[in-house]
Amino acid sequence: MQGSDAVELVRPDTLEEALAAKAERPGAVPLAGGTDVMVELNYDHRRPEALVDLTRIAELATWSASGGHVRLGAGVPYTRLIDELGDTLPGLAMASRTVGSPQIRNRGTVGGNLGAASPAGDTHPVLLAAGAEIEVASVRGARRIPADTFYTGVKRNALAPDELITAVHVPSAAVPAEQFSKVGTRNAMVIAVCSFALVLRDGHVGAAIGSAAPTPRRVPDAEAFLAAELPWGTDAPLPDSLKRRFGELVAAATEPIDDVRGTAEYRTHALGVLARRTLTWAWDDHRGSVRACA
Amino acid sequence: MTRSIERVAAVGTAPERVDGRAKVAGKAPYAYEHPVERPAYAHPIQATIAAGRVRGIDTARALAVDGVHTVLTPDNAPPLRRGQDAELEILQAPDVAFRGQIIGCVVADTPEAARHAADLVAVDYERRDHDVTLASDRPDLYRPGEVSHEADTEDGDVDAALAGAAARVEAEYRTARNHNNPLEPHTTVAVWDADGLTLYDSTQGVHSLRSAVAEVFDLDESRIRVLAPYVGGGFGSKGTAHAHVVLAALAAKRMSGRPVKLALTRQQTFTLAGYRTPTVQRVALGADTDGRIDALAVDVVEQTSRVKAFAEQTALPSRTMYAAPHRRTTHRMAALDVPVTSWMRAPGVCPGMFGPEVAMDELAERCGLDPIELRLRNEPDRDPETGKPYSTRNLAECLRGGARRFGWDARPAAPRQTRQGEWWIGTGVASSTYPVHHAPGSAARIERRADGRYHVGVGAVDIGTGAWTVLGQIAADALGVDREDVVVTVGDTALPFASVAGGSSGTTNWGSAIVAAAHGFRARFGDDDPPAGSEHTESAPENPDTERFAMHAFGAQFAEVHVSADTGEIRVPRLLGVFAAGRIVNPRLARSQFLGGMTMGLSMALHEEGVMDERLGMVVNHDLAEYHVATNADVPSVEAEWIDEHDPHVNPMGTKGIGEIGIVGTAAAVANAAYHATGVRVRELPVTADRFLTA
Repeated sequence: MQGSDAVELVRPDTLEEALAAKAERPGAVPLAGGTDVMVELNYDHRRPEALVDLTRIAELATWSASGGHVRLGAGVPYTRLIDELGDTLPGLAMASRTVGSPQIRNRGTVGGNLGAASPAGDTHPVLLAAGAEIEVASVRGARRIPADTFYTGVKRNALAPDELITAVHVPSAAVPAEQFSKVGTRNAMVIAVCSFALVLRDGHVGAAIGSAAPTPRRVPDAEAFLAAELPWGTDAPLPDSLKRRFGELVAAATEPIDDVRGTAEYRTHALGVLARRTLTWAWDDHRGSVRACA
Repeated sequence: MTRSIERVAAVGTAPERVDGRAKVAGKAPYAYEHPVERPAYAHPIQATIAAGRVRGIDTARALAVDGVHTVLTPDNAPPLRRGQDAELEILQAPDVAFRGQIIGCVVADTPEAARHAADLVAVDYERRDHDVTLASDRPDLYRPGEVSHEADTEDGDVDAALAGAAARVEAEYRTARNHNNPLEPHTTVAVWDADGLTLYDSTQGVHSLRSAVAEVFDLDESRIRVLAPYVGGGFGSKGTAHAHVVLAALAAKRMSGRPVKLALTRQQTFTLAGYRTPTVQRVALGADTDGRIDALAVDVVEQTSRVKAFAEQTALPSRTMYAAPHRRTTHRMAALDVPVTSWMRAPGVCPGMFGPEVAMDELAERCGLDPIELRLRNEPDRDPETGKPYSTRNLAECLRGGARRFGWDARPAAPRQTRQGEWWIGTGVASSTYPVHHAPGSAARIERRADGRYHVGVGAVDIGTGAWTVLGQIAADALGVDREDVVVTVGDTALPFASVAGGSSGTTNWGSAIVAAAHGFRARFGDDDPPAGSEHTESAPENPDTERFAMHAFGAQFAEVHVSADTGEIRVPRLLGVFAAGRIVNPRLARSQFLGGMTMGLSMALHEEGVMDERLGMVVNHDLAEYHVATNADVPSVEAEWIDEHDPHVNPMGTKGIGEIGIVGTAAAVANAAYHATGVRVRELPVTADRFLTA
């Protein structure tokens, strides 16, 4: 590379250096696992002025749990999330298991998924449904962005040009009533045709769709319906009519397109199915916990 | 040393592939890896319009990149001989015949610089409206001159027979545009010196590639050497010369003696390495109340590139599959502004066994017959196409044996009968076939050397099939020595001529040459080990039986398919193929060929479709992230078996060829099983979840 087309590679050892670099070059693209960014560079879909390699910053690749939350560093690869947090963040671990191949899961991170903000990104519905907050930082300071307001458009997010994603804060599951489901056009290494996440917690319902609208998004009408109608605190089975209504409300909230992977009509239909399916599973988890307490 | 009389035949044993260790250790050099002195690297510049011409090319920014030596364009490229093969005659004119066509090339010190500079070349085009849409009702469809055999055939009165048939199926079936995607991309290393041109190329035929290159460069073949000792798959896409080989040779010519390396990117292979045309197949079957077929018609519409005609022989297999007094097959072509169509594993036969084999399933239902019984009732005594007897035809054995093994008898006759949880469950069957191809002229050289071993040289290519190994087994038996005493060398035009590794004919052609050479060697030097330096070269003789017999391999493909009642998602937990393909030289390697073919057939059934964006004239899913091939998780159980078939006519080894038959019929078996599961008949590939939404 040479001249004005050269891409500078910045390799900070600390977060402070990384934030300084990002402040200095707001056009710089952060690089974590590289599973999205390197593909885009390879196809020349983008040619940023600089890349900021975050893989040397040890603190980004750590997680901690306290006060019913997990703070998951932006650089923790999916493989570690699955291995180390499978019980604590079951929904996020489920979604992570469906990402790419083992090699991709060894490299890819939730932080990177958020940075790319693809409507089809696998972890987004879970982060939305769980009520996660995205911790971002710049030389100006740190802030937290609720997942609901993080996704602003197709492959766009709420980051300011000088900000980096440092972590996500996810409420941990006291009761593992979290489910994720995805339809793909083959059984592995597949981008979602559509995906759905559901989190049930103490009268709260979080539900979100992926790959069926310009951004991953929550489905408020379906959430409100379920929160009001679920027989919380009991181990009663759910009537089919309730599951069906929930599926209809989820399907009604989609705004899909036709593409190579599937038709809009199929996505809407399948999301209704995924909604009913995950509700059945999550409610089974809930009932199990009620019985365990009884 | 006199050879042991008790020597066990090597053919039929299952040694590991002799090149396996070198390959897994990274010591088997593929084309691009051949070390050459100070290589330069070429990167193609491709047209970004689908039809028109190049008005001007501005190469200034590209030439300014550090390490860039030259930019070849239609304005400055060395001349080629024209008029033979327009796919290869690149950079001779400004015309653009398809999006992605090579219109130039950057040569630089590094592949990165070449690729970067290629992006900086600014091209001014004069566009014309492109036409990339295949439709069976296009007014400009034409009959190709030939499709390896005659384009159209007709016996009896098909329309009258159909009109009077007690049971009738008439429907349109479609197969998708498929891309070969071998693991090793298409690569070439070109070196010009005083003696001529040397090419290290990822090819399926060193001699056939040499002929093509000699033609376009107007060189005597003796001045070209092609080497391809190891090739990482081809599936037909390396069976004919493609433009990038010419481009590498042109670039090396311009670099006056400096070697040039060129590797196509995965995306480039989608436009520059050939692909399988989509097909539209109008199939008509008419039968009597007993299910005996009276009329059979297959009318095919498919596409070809305007730049070079290639007619996929899609109706070919239906000419030989089943008896029927009234028969018609036709091929019609649409010439479009699309990349060049070419060979892909079992060209013609693979797509051509989709429509008819699904139609057979539909006919079985109309006749109230089991699909296997319908096929058995229509077994011909002789080849319906030629009237010749079959050298061997064991389709019935494959169907019956497979049915036993698969548990076919437990199957409910009607569709949509079995449900487990959310899954509808069904099973399906389809026949498989592939012709035994012979190509004349392959020769082998056998030399006893000072190491005490017999060195067998043949200009064959092992594209991952196991030729290195099986040719040694054949040579050992023909010479009457142990396999360890034979050393095989392939993949070099310095070796005796060999036909292309295509048409499942390698073992037939090269093995026949080796047997002839071995027998000639013994006739000349006696049965005892002769002195070192004793050498004999001989060609395979013509086989008169090829005129007397119809020669085909046959098989039966079974699939179990589960379809989600909720989402339409499709799972194929089980595939079984049973084949009658003559003698199996090496069961270990043969199994890989069958399983690989069946897996590719499953992939064709469920996943593979190059999606054309008609606005741009390009396949949009031109990479392996979006053009899906089956993954391990899609293929829980694939099993292949074969019957012990002895065919004395096909060749001295009794082999029929096994590289392609595994992919034939698989997609029909899957579609038929999906119907049996759900009652939803899918006549278009790939079979996708959205088709079952109503299920």
